[in-house]
Amino acid sequence: MAVTGKDRISYFRVFRLNGFLVATFGVALCVALPLCVVLSFLATTSSDVWQHLVDTLLLRYISNTLLLSFYVTIGVVCIGVPTAWVIAFYRFPGRQTLSWLLLLPMAYPAYILAYTYTGVLEYAGPVLTWMRASNMPDWVMSPFLNIRSLLGAALMLSLVLYPYVYLLARAAFLQQSANLMEAGYTLGQSRLSVFRRIVIPMARPAIAAGALLAIMETVADFGTVQFFGVQTFTTGIIRTYYGFGDTPGAAQLSSVLLGFVAILVILERHSRNRIRYYSDQMRRLDQAAQHLTGFSAFAAQVLCALPILFGFLIPTTLLVNWTIFDAQLQSLWQLAWNSFALAGGSSFLIVGVALLIAYANRLFPTRSLSYMTTFIGLGYALPGVVVAIGILIPFGIFDAWISELLTSWAVKPQLWLSGTLFAVIFAYLVRFLAVANGNVFSGLSRIRPSIDQSGRLLGLSQTGVLTRIHIPLMQGSVLTAILVCFVDILKELPATLILRPFDFNTLAVRAYELAGQERLIDASPASLCIVLVGLVPVILLNRSIGKL
Amino acid sequence: MNQQNKDALTIRDLTLYYGASRAVYDVNFVLKPLELGCLLGPSGCGKSTLLRAIAGFQPLTSGEIWLDGNLLTGPSVSVSAERRGVGMMFQDIALFPHLTVDQNIGFGLEDWPESKAEQRIHELLDLIGLHNLGSRYPHQLSGGQQQRVALARSMAPKPKLLLLDEPFSGLDTEMRGRLASEVRAILKSDGICSLLVTHDQREAFDFADRIAVMSDGCIRQFDTPFNLYHEPKSPFVAHFVGPGEMVDAKVSDPRSVLSPLGILTNDTDLGFETGSDVKIFLRPDDLVHDDDSSYTAILVEKHFRGAHHLYQVRLDNGVVLGCFAPSHHDHKIGERIGVSLDIEHLVVFPQ
Repeated sequence: MAVTGKDRISYFRVFRLNGFLVATFGVALCVALPLCVVLSFLATTSSDVWQHLVDTLLLRYISNTLLLSFYVTIGVVCIGVPTAWVIAFYRFPGRQTLSWLLLLPMAYPAYILAYTYTGVLEYAGPVLTWMRASNMPDWVMSPFLNIRSLLGAALMLSLVLYPYVYLLARAAFLQQSANLMEAGYTLGQSRLSVFRRIVIPMARPAIAAGALLAIMETVADFGTVQFFGVQTFTTGIIRTYYGFGDTPGAAQLSSVLLGFVAILVILERHSRNRIRYYSDQMRRLDQAAQHLTGFSAFAAQVLCALPILFGFLIPTTLLVNWTIFDAQLQSLWQLAWNSFALAGGSSFLIVGVALLIAYANRLFPTRSLSYMTTFIGLGYALPGVVVAIGILIPFGIFDAWISELLTSWAVKPQLWLSGTLFAVIFAYLVRFLAVANGNVFSGLSRIRPSIDQSGRLLGLSQTGVLTRIHIPLMQGSVLTAILVCFVDILKELPATLILRPFDFNTLAVRAYELAGQERLIDASPASLCIVLVGLVPVILLNRSIGKL
Repeated sequence: MNQQNKDALTIRDLTLYYGASRAVYDVNFVLKPLELGCLLGPSGCGKSTLLRAIAGFQPLTSGEIWLDGNLLTGPSVSVSAERRGVGMMFQDIALFPHLTVDQNIGFGLEDWPESKAEQRIHELLDLIGLHNLGSRYPHQLSGGQQQRVALARSMAPKPKLLLLDEPFSGLDTEMRGRLASEVRAILKSDGICSLLVTHDQREAFDFADRIAVMSDGCIRQFDTPFNLYHEPKSPFVAHFVGPGEMVDAKVSDPRSVLSPLGILTNDTDLGFETGSDVKIFLRPDDLVHDDDSSYTAILVEKHFRGAHHLYQVRLDNGVVLGCFAPSHHDHKIGERIGVSLDIEHLVVFPQ
């Protein structure tokens, strides 16, 4: 029987579909690997160490992680919501500038803020020296002395994570139709009552989503809690793995942490869904904003300036000061080169993979592809420590197996995968592919199918559509994706620390090492580098919001 | 003062500036209790601004707004929006997305005793025909259902006056006409005095007892739909409320004009000096297609409207006029057809 034209076309389509499917499936497998490895240990019988953990430390890990999350939630909501409210509902001198300066603390990884504040607040540091000299009572000094505590860690995390809440709450406030508030007034409600019954309840899902993102970062944090000696899941996992040498124990701890993260992810998705219903594109609040003058304007300025002062200006001033006058750091250039080359190469790779997945989804939108894409998006929620452990274990097994195989061929045993840059980049791919995906997908979705179709109707070939329409239009979002990945990788600490090759240092790792040796001042040049580069995407973010 | 007590809404000498630009000026009108009024005009004529001023969202430059004998806005008086007893239905519906239908309707009833509030909610749900959808959220309703819930919500606290700001503009034409009549029936049965803002003449005719036609910030004519259509006081109003053509004519005696259609005579004095040049306004229903008529014209354009045809015909002297024809009279363009005049009242404007 002859093959009809129709048959051939469908055969061709199925073939190509499989090509993209296989590639995406491969990436999904990469993301799934650490997850599956960690979870697979749930089935193994618990070791003595695990029993010891359950008896002694597990409860402390759980309570510390929950308590830290609780304090950070309070912190980010108390900073993020009032500032968003003031920026959205009032007009006062400096509002425009403050509205984007409030994003600056996002440039800081929490651990760098922790090193900086510890450096300035230590017993022999300038603040306490001055306090002692001016005979301050103990109860004034003690909070400063006790910065290295759970509360201190919560404060550091809140100062860098509140922008999540601020951004989402501000958008939620601004997107509420002014008519909704006016509807409240015409139904006899006072200003306060409208705020209580309409404005806040409608912004609640956005505030919740922001707080949940902050909590996800909090439970994944390693650098801050490790430095402050707060025993949480992340520090517990490292301690179990290295201190006790107990792989199953570390994996099982990771599984518990993953369970916690999974709950957060579900809650966050739920909040996001509600935000969609609550945003209204009609008349914006802009016209309804109230002008402030005199003392009330000053109060609004102070309210918005405080988080910027403590989250950015003070620590940056300190870092700059130490870098110029006090720090002793050799080989900063080497460190910077290592970091930038690693982050640059990885982010190119990651964004390339993201492009592949995005085009797969566009050209062959099938349900299995979209499921896989959603799954890949979960990588961002995986704490770096868990990713690292989940990679270390299978790579170690692979190395042992291949060495055994090769020894029989008289090849000297060595590490093929673990302790290589490949392992580090693999971890980055798992963790940051979701970030690149987000940017690339949103860029691609802006090119509506009708644009492709009109290009084809105007005589462009498929390649022509790609080169003359897609590439020019996608440039911006691809560059943003690369940049955001780059900075995220630069700030990443635990996965790099665990997986890096022996003697390979990055800025983040070196800052961590120096801080661990109490050489906080010497850590400042590396820290400053990370923060300054971290500023770039923050400024970009602000610009892309401004366009809305 | 006495007069204001009897009237529901009184607006006196209202003028409103946005900075230096004059948005609304010299507005005077009165709505009687239970009356359904309408502000009709093209976009940018100031009708929505006027409505927002009545609601208390827009300060006046001068003038007074009275409701049920109370001064709402005037020199040195401005009752805040929530204390006016004025309800409002918004163009974008503005249902609270985080509340159910019941909670939306009950939003303004917080101070009511619970049983009374519940009773009112039920009453309104019955009135808008959605009694089984009280526990739905707004996004689970169709556009028309949302509109009705928004109406019920604004009616719930029994406002003294209900303002409707182009509430049907988001809907398709058919739905619009149906809802306008439906809302009219609901408001009449609940006895709420209302003021609708719209740019759609059919919607206004479907809804209102009396219509204020606005342009460039002031009211051109405030009258019943019938009078606006048949006795417009200005060319603007004549054109805005329906199709028609201006034709040059000369006053031949106090009650007649000499026109391209011959001498046309009115029942009453026209109020123009004999011999003066005027324009007469002829609607398509003034010229009727009649196969038996000896007076003929050439068909130059036709629009089939289903129930009837709207023809454009050219008279022998070159004047083109609109003309209604029965649905079955399907003539071809270029054909010569018989027409006859059916004018009850002459609409005459000075040249």
